[in-house]
Amino acid sequence: MKMFYLQLRNELWKLFGKKRTYIGFGAFFVTEIVIALLFRYNHGARNFVVRPLERMGYTAEEVLSSLTIAVSMLFPIANLLMPLYVSLVGGDLMAKEAEDGTLRMILSRPISRVRLLAIKWVAGAIFSAVLVLGLAGCAILLTSIFFTPGGLYVVAPWEGIMSVFEPGRGWQRFLLADFFLICNAISIMSLALMLSCFNMKPAAAAIVAISVVVLNLILQDMPALADLKEWFITYYFRTWLNCYREIIPWWKIGQACCMLFGFNLTFFIIGATAFQVRDIKS
Amino acid sequence: MIQLQNVKKYFGQRLAVNDLSLHVPKGEIFGLLGHNGAGKSTAIGMMLGQVWPSDGEILVCGHEVTRNRQQALQKVGAIFEAPVFYDYLSAWRNLEILSHYTAPTPASRIREIVDWVGLSGREQSKVRTYSHGMRARLALAQALLPQPDLLILDEPNDGLDPEGIHEMRQTILRLHREMGLTILLSSHQLNEVEQLCTRIAVMNQGEKVFEGTIAETRRAQSWFKLRTGDFAASVKILREAGMIIGEREGSLVLLAEGTGSDAVVVKLVGAGHRIFEIGPESQNLESFYLSLVQGRKGAA
Repeated sequence: MKMFYLQLRNELWKLFGKKRTYIGFGAFFVTEIVIALLFRYNHGARNFVVRPLERMGYTAEEVLSSLTIAVSMLFPIANLLMPLYVSLVGGDLMAKEAEDGTLRMILSRPISRVRLLAIKWVAGAIFSAVLVLGLAGCAILLTSIFFTPGGLYVVAPWEGIMSVFEPGRGWQRFLLADFFLICNAISIMSLALMLSCFNMKPAAAAIVAISVVVLNLILQDMPALADLKEWFITYYFRTWLNCYREIIPWWKIGQACCMLFGFNLTFFIIGATAFQVRDIKS
Repeated sequence: MIQLQNVKKYFGQRLAVNDLSLHVPKGEIFGLLGHNGAGKSTAIGMMLGQVWPSDGEILVCGHEVTRNRQQALQKVGAIFEAPVFYDYLSAWRNLEILSHYTAPTPASRIREIVDWVGLSGREQSKVRTYSHGMRARLALAQALLPQPDLLILDEPNDGLDPEGIHEMRQTILRLHREMGLTILLSSHQLNEVEQLCTRIAVMNQGEKVFEGTIAETRRAQSWFKLRTGDFAASVKILREAGMIIGEREGSLVLLAEGTGSDAVVVKLVGAGHRIFEIGPESQNLESFYLSLVQGRKGAA
């Protein structure tokens, strides 16, 4: 156990010592500033949130709280930027070491390939969690500058969600949703890590992973394939949005967690098998 | 320490290592020679469990590598050509990272090795600021951290300047003398191998073509110095007669198996050539290696 802890700590040093690891954090921060400013000064963006709730009898002053805007800015980031950056890091975890030659140095040591992959998976999962928590933390921080504290008003018409929460419950839902967003990030990272176990460049692993996610999103939303939507991984990525429903559908969340666990396990087993049989050469 | 038995490795259809058997005894500095692409690095990769053999058995420190890799590599250190590190981290951090893949390593052990390889004072600097020579020392440090019994060095002089090569040579000799390590040195720098190794194996096109002591290479005398009135014409006659299988430098010929210098004299004199000198060329490892490799090419 002590060895595992030391090896995991080393893996985190490697991961967080690299400048490119922080590209995602930087991009998120800039995007969040832009979105916060748009919500603050652009009527179109404000109206997107305010109008539906005004029809329900709420005023703009009530609705435009820091928590509401933080959640609203997370929607596009979680769907577009977050998969991109966890794919980049997941694709790097193994393939970059193979490309640089450091993997050969590691594998001249008495460590099994499955153990090495397990350590990298845990490090990738920690990165994914830190990224999502950083994303959520920054969103709250930035919106606190431009907006006043208050309740949580969530408008996601494409999911049929229009909910209102008092500040206390709003925070609970926000934290719960972030937890499931972390599960999404870990699943995408696992997919990219699996691909990076094959003999391919880090960028290729990241591109293939993000392509798989986008392809799943497209297929899942095709009306002709509505009957098959439960076969696509991205269908289960919507779980975090369920946390913003007035009544949380726990059975759906439980089902999604089981499915994502299954996907992660499958990715790990395929990755471990590919990595195990691979020849590591200079 | 290392035992390879009839090892083969295919990459797709290509046979990279063919029926390689090798024995590296404990306490030796063993040289693995061969040109680029001869199969040396693949053989080393198989010894370290990085490349899976297609056939055969590989024992390192008494353990079968493919089945029992962890035990086999417990007391093994390795250095590869152009050593790479996590350049954005300090040398100390790199040593911690790499050593923890073997066992928990106390800071005092890292300090001891850093001092031993002469990196004291620079261990907290980022590796990207290191010269080739310092990287080579760091590579040596990471290989020595697990207190190995066996050191595998794959082209350790690659990219080093003459001073660095000299330093590496002295270090290898010191490791052998002071720590009693068994060392497998893969190289195509024949001069280095000749100065360091007690035994060698020569690989050519994936096959082992020689295994023996350096003294044995000096005794093998197949290259002959031949000075005649017209060397090119003499070579042509001898080739047509199947008496030589190689020539180089405008004065050396490699006699075919079973051909003696007396037969060469008779043939050339009979053809009307004047012979000024014929005699065995004093052998160094380079001429021995060339005779082996060119002899194989000639035979092919």
